[in-house]
Amino acid sequence: MAEVVAPIPGLVARVTVKEGDSVKPGDTVVVLNVMKTEVNVQSESPGVVKEIRVKEWDEVDIGTVLVVLDSKG
Amino acid sequence: MSSLAKVLIANRGEIAVRVIRTCRKMGLRTVAVFSDADANSPHVRLADESYHLGPSNPLKSYLNLDRLAEAIEKTKADLVHPGYGFLAENAEFAKMVTRLGATWVGPPGDLMDKLASKTYSRKMAREAGIPIIPGTLEPISAHELEQVAHQIGFPMLIKPDRGGGGKGTKLIKSPEELTTEAFSSAAREAQYGFGRPDLYVERLLEKPRHIEVQVIADGSGNVYALGERECTIQRRYQKIIEEAPSPVISDRDRLHIYDLAKRYAGKIGYVNAGTVEMLRDSSGEFYFLEMNKRIQVEHPVTELTTGLDIVELQLRVALGEELPLKTDMKPVGHAIECRIYAEDPKTFMPSPGKITEFSAQQDGFTRLDHALEPGIIIPPYYDPLIAKAISYGDTREVSRIRMVEYLKNLRIEGVKTNIPFLTALLGSRNFIEGDFYTNWVNEVLENGGFNISS
Repeated sequence: MAEVVAPIPGLVARVTVKEGDSVKPGDTVVVLNVMKTEVNVQSESPGVVKEIRVKEWDEVDIGTVLVVLDSKG
Repeated sequence: MSSLAKVLIANRGEIAVRVIRTCRKMGLRTVAVFSDADANSPHVRLADESYHLGPSNPLKSYLNLDRLAEAIEKTKADLVHPGYGFLAENAEFAKMVTRLGATWVGPPGDLMDKLASKTYSRKMAREAGIPIIPGTLEPISAHELEQVAHQIGFPMLIKPDRGGGGKGTKLIKSPEELTTEAFSSAAREAQYGFGRPDLYVERLLEKPRHIEVQVIADGSGNVYALGERECTIQRRYQKIIEEAPSPVISDRDRLHIYDLAKRYAGKIGYVNAGTVEMLRDSSGEFYFLEMNKRIQVEHPVTELTTGLDIVELQLRVALGEELPLKTDMKPVGHAIECRIYAEDPKTFMPSPGKITEFSAQQDGFTRLDHALEPGIIIPPYYDPLIAKAISYGDTREVSRIRMVEYLKNLRIEGVKTNIPFLTALLGSRNFIEGDFYTNWVNEVLENGGFNISS
């Protein structure tokens, strides 16, 4: 299990993966809107999206878990 | 009503603080509005009253018409000043304010509605005899594109009819790039960003400078020009440094563009403060771009070079008072504004966070518009603009040196700021010589960047 967390506080602009999607390191999983700038949040490890913890326009803080990956993939 | 009138400021940050200060000076009462993130912000404490709009997400607070209507009704505000950004150019908001029986500090909502269309604005400019950039006067369809493009010539831009900030704009350099796909993707972006797919085309000018004229119209037919501002120093369509006067135009050009701006404001029946934006191409010709229907971020450079308080003029027009003006104004001396953003000076990544230290040295020549104090949090939900430094001097060079000194002594800690980037820009040979165009900063950044010491 691996978690993708917010590296910076902001608003969730969009979630770019669905449960069950396979992701590679460097794939964008969530786009945050930080001070009107879009910041891509990428997965650091490979895996399959097990759970999406946020939705569009949620407020997130540094460290908020955005997406949980099943790393067995 | 004026001595007892109550002004609701539908904004936050430095502009809310700045509008409240002028209201106080005029003996007007003030209402601040705020979101969760701004509960402890300086604008809330400075105002006579405050009203909580909702969650930090701007869609649920500063952009929420229902909550703003409630704020206006419950606080019995007589006037609403929108500041800039958020709902400042939203015609629905202006109409709502009027419907609620309050006075909108700005031009009438139905005029704002019409002027939101770039092609309508271009048509009005052309009818008033003001040069416009070669292009269409109506939105066009995909099958008209090729014929229109060959009349206009390359390079050209496909632009959303309603929109701004460069969003949805497509550069077409040659006939080969003129595809149905380019057109339909621009239409999709326009629809997504601005709610309408309408597009028009316009010739791309060679190395233009952005020069704008501040005007004020009293609603009884008097329109005055309050000088020009040079706003050519931009990064990705965001202005960074503005100045008054423009360092490159002659006095003859100056009077010419004041005349164009006043003619346009007269043609459309403009009321209150507005800015006519123009582009000046490399041969020195001026072209109408659009009119901004609000107080602008860069208005302080006009204030320092004319001695006027533009927010005061806006409020006087809204209150139906006579303007304390008889003629146009030209800038006296030289003012430079630097926009201070909470962002990394090298990567430009936003940098929200807690201000741990804030101090500025008063030099008597530099004004700082801000809503900063130690301990406050710069939230991630709003614009990264946290302060504006505006320096004044008899000459451009004196003003520039004062700005460099001022920024050297300005301490803002806890978040990253673009101050090192501003200092590098101010010290560059091109800036010192006034030799730049709107894409200059972007081009330098693509080719190794500025010499930033931090």
